[in-house]
Amino acid sequence: MMQFTETPPPPLHQITAPFSNPNMNKNQTQRTRPWPGFPTSKALGSFGDANCMEQLLVHCANAIESNDATLAQQILWVLNNIAPPDGDSNQRLTCAFLRALIARAAKSGTCKLLAAMANAHCTLAIDTHKFSVIELAGFVDLTPWHRFGFTAANAAILEAIEGYSSVHIVDLSMTHCMQIPTLIDAIANRFEVTPLIKLTVAGATEDIPPMLDLSYEELGSKLINFARSRNVIMEFRVVPSSYTDGFSSLIEHLRVQNMVYAESGEALVINCQMLLHYIPEETLFGVITSTNSSNPYSFESSSCSSMSSLRTMFLKSLRSLDPTIVVLVDEDVDLTSNNLVCRLRSAFNYLWIPYDTVDTFLPRGSKQRQWYEADICWKIENVIAHEGLQRVERLEPKNRWVQRMRNANFRSISFCEDAVSEVKTMLGEHAAGWGLKKEEEDLVLTWKGHNVVFATAWMPA
Amino acid sequence: MVPYDSDGLAGSAPSSSSSITKPPQIDGLLAGAGYKVPSSELRHVAQRLERLETAMLNSASHQLSLLASDAVLYNPSDLSTWVDSLLSELNQSQPLPSLPSDLSDLVPNSTALDSSWGMEHSLSQQQNQNISQHQQNQLMVVTALEEDSAIRLVHMLMTCAESVQRGELALAASLIENMQGLLTRVNTGCGIGKVAGYFINALSRRIFAPAGSISGVGSCYTYENELLYHHYYEACPYLKFAHFTANQAILEAFEGHDCVHVVDFNLMHGLQWPALIQALALRPGGPPLLRLTGIGPPSSDGRDSLREIGLRLADLARSVNVRFAFRGVAAARLEDVKPWMLQVNPKEAVAVNSIMQLHKLLASDPTRNPAIDIVLNWIRNLNLKIMTAVEQEADHNQSGFLDRFTEALYYYSTMFDSLEACAHHPEKVLAEMYIQREICNVVSCEGSARVERHEPLAKWRTRLTGAGFRPLHLGSNAFKQASMLLTLFSSEGYSVEENEGCLTLGWHSRPLIAASAWQAVPDVEPALGVIDNNGVVL
Repeated sequence: MMQFTETPPPPLHQITAPFSNPNMNKNQTQRTRPWPGFPTSKALGSFGDANCMEQLLVHCANAIESNDATLAQQILWVLNNIAPPDGDSNQRLTCAFLRALIARAAKSGTCKLLAAMANAHCTLAIDTHKFSVIELAGFVDLTPWHRFGFTAANAAILEAIEGYSSVHIVDLSMTHCMQIPTLIDAIANRFEVTPLIKLTVAGATEDIPPMLDLSYEELGSKLINFARSRNVIMEFRVVPSSYTDGFSSLIEHLRVQNMVYAESGEALVINCQMLLHYIPEETLFGVITSTNSSNPYSFESSSCSSMSSLRTMFLKSLRSLDPTIVVLVDEDVDLTSNNLVCRLRSAFNYLWIPYDTVDTFLPRGSKQRQWYEADICWKIENVIAHEGLQRVERLEPKNRWVQRMRNANFRSISFCEDAVSEVKTMLGEHAAGWGLKKEEEDLVLTWKGHNVVFATAWMPA
Repeated sequence: MVPYDSDGLAGSAPSSSSSITKPPQIDGLLAGAGYKVPSSELRHVAQRLERLETAMLNSASHQLSLLASDAVLYNPSDLSTWVDSLLSELNQSQPLPSLPSDLSDLVPNSTALDSSWGMEHSLSQQQNQNISQHQQNQLMVVTALEEDSAIRLVHMLMTCAESVQRGELALAASLIENMQGLLTRVNTGCGIGKVAGYFINALSRRIFAPAGSISGVGSCYTYENELLYHHYYEACPYLKFAHFTANQAILEAFEGHDCVHVVDFNLMHGLQWPALIQALALRPGGPPLLRLTGIGPPSSDGRDSLREIGLRLADLARSVNVRFAFRGVAAARLEDVKPWMLQVNPKEAVAVNSIMQLHKLLASDPTRNPAIDIVLNWIRNLNLKIMTAVEQEADHNQSGFLDRFTEALYYYSTMFDSLEACAHHPEKVLAEMYIQREICNVVSCEGSARVERHEPLAKWRTRLTGAGFRPLHLGSNAFKQASMLLTLFSSEGYSVEENEGCLTLGWHSRPLIAASAWQAVPDVEPALGVIDNNGVVL
């Protein structure tokens, strides 16, 4: 069994007192674990509370992974007592991780998940709320988390579609087209003669929060009406397609569209807002990359290298569509490690941010706060308690995405001054802790100096 | 194959002509299906099929799958031989008993067991003639055999205990011999066989040892005791349940206090305390100054094990920034501890933690005041914030030996059952030794040597409320924690129950260990009774 204690200094008796059977005692000491090991390393106590909680979570994760029930029980007991679900932001963060670890332990053990969770002092199923459009719009506006990406993207898109009479926007986002009304507004304001807008979406991500309480058909007609009210003609199309296969049906559809409208001078805008990280990447083994002819990726050479993945192929196929602009916005953190403890550390050292920010824009006990934190809980549970295909939150940091785009033959476009000032103006509406960083061509949203969300823009190289 | 004629009679073996003996009558119904079973053997075959069914149910799954794939009836005309061959295949991996000549006393209709059966070998000889030769030559199904032997063992154990109670030691001794014989026919690796083995062993010690020579088992070797205890802690959830339930109560009781003192009645390896230290380190408002006084037996081999444990705990406390002080109190028996040894400070909140220690004070010495009263009294007079008491939930202190024995047999059988369900640990064997020592003490010791005087929660309630304590409800937090942690890491079958503010952990609805918490009732002017020199209200 893994031991987490440092070996204590040799006990006095081995030095001073004689005893009858030294060999017997030594063997027996080695056979018994010296102590159900709580970490005795000096480092544990010298940092603040958050670090201590992180250490405990890490040790708990290790204990669970190595089937050390005794140690796991002890740490879980401690964590249960120091991390109430209604405590300060560190405590609530730790509590969410604790729930996720319990869920993970429950999966691997012989117990019943429901019984275990019901007995833990937090309630079971993370109750993810189904938002109405109004609710979701208001919700998204509460914080720069999504607004940052929307604002930067809209500015870049406006620049890119200048002069086109028809614009095809493919909206791949988590927030069910919440960006679109502002974009339409901006288009209406900027252009005397507004282009025709074709909006294509990939169908609802049924299983990932935030969830919408109406169908995409209904959503689409609302958007069309809104556009009309701004004198913009818009078409709306849903192509049922899923991240699980790298949106292959969507790609197929777009390819066909490309061939049909190739000559008409239509701008193709691919707007990716925090959705691409669900597409399986290289750390997910066993991804089937079929080579039959109906495969939209069949333009690839038939020998797929082992380093290929749906994510890589998706970007390559985007490139093959020759888009006018691709905007890629996502959260700046690495949650792809197959090692639980690595993932836990990365997640803990990133997801403290939403817990920290929530105090600045949502009062305790409010329903919206519950929804907000429930969504974070969902993410944490997905990262910690699940593996394989079920673990869908496969976020990669900015530099990894940048590399991917470059590999796929894109070159990055800088955000113009207008974009920067728009983002700054938007940030001014929110708490003081939010900031903006420029990293080469990219923009990064920060909270108290830490990277939160990055926005990048690309065109074919 | 000889065709059957309409009335079911068949010719004999095709080649030879049946001249002299009348061919056996073949059962008509089975014959229609192609099975050649003589009517006289029908009963035999039916029994075999029944045994086969039992054996299949009891056999290991890999055996069963072999059976399923290999069992092809090649010669349907000889059903009985086929069934017998399957039975013998199933028996191969089990230890085959040698066939004693009196096997015949296992008559198929032996459901009603006579408690005096062990004495009636002679009677069973007569039944020999009713059993066919055929049957005697077959190998019996081990499980059916085992079941019978196990039941007999239990009955014999009771009879033996009863003889001991009546003072009939010669009879008891001969029963021991019989039981040891029976033990060879059962699986002593698990189940009733294992438990019976321990009880037979304990009874033997009682019967065969010279009077008064059995001291408390295992009292001499502290290192060994600690080791066995540690393995018992690892192998099953009882001690862990005790620790985190007690810790939860102590943690909650210490809320708001800056100076706290825990008195542990049996420190052992201090397994209970790292978790509490960690939880205190991170409590809102910061950790208190924590003092721990660990009581334990003096070390027999020159080591100062109390001090060693204290040093390790101090290291841990230092690493999490908890101000900590440890004191070890070496005492052979809990009643030897005097309150001044604990050096309780009037400003600190005191928690007394007793994990399976209070019952040891129940051995009453008629020349002195009961130790339990003395100890409970001085506990009350410390600055007691909380006393956490965990005890075995059993009545092993009854005056009648047979009653004690019976209770112990059921209690420890249940405990061993629960142990069997636990994942295989290398610790298990040593954990079982720990339990075995308890059994030995309950069964073979008397007087001051018998320290394992377990009493059930109801009795402790009466005792403690009578001694000036009132119960502190353990609270839903403790219950939820206990349930959650147990369901996550223990096999199904364990259950945590709430019993008027106390928590019990049991196996399949039999509580085996009970945890409770107590406060001292503030002293009123004593209006009742006379107080003797020791401060005990008479």
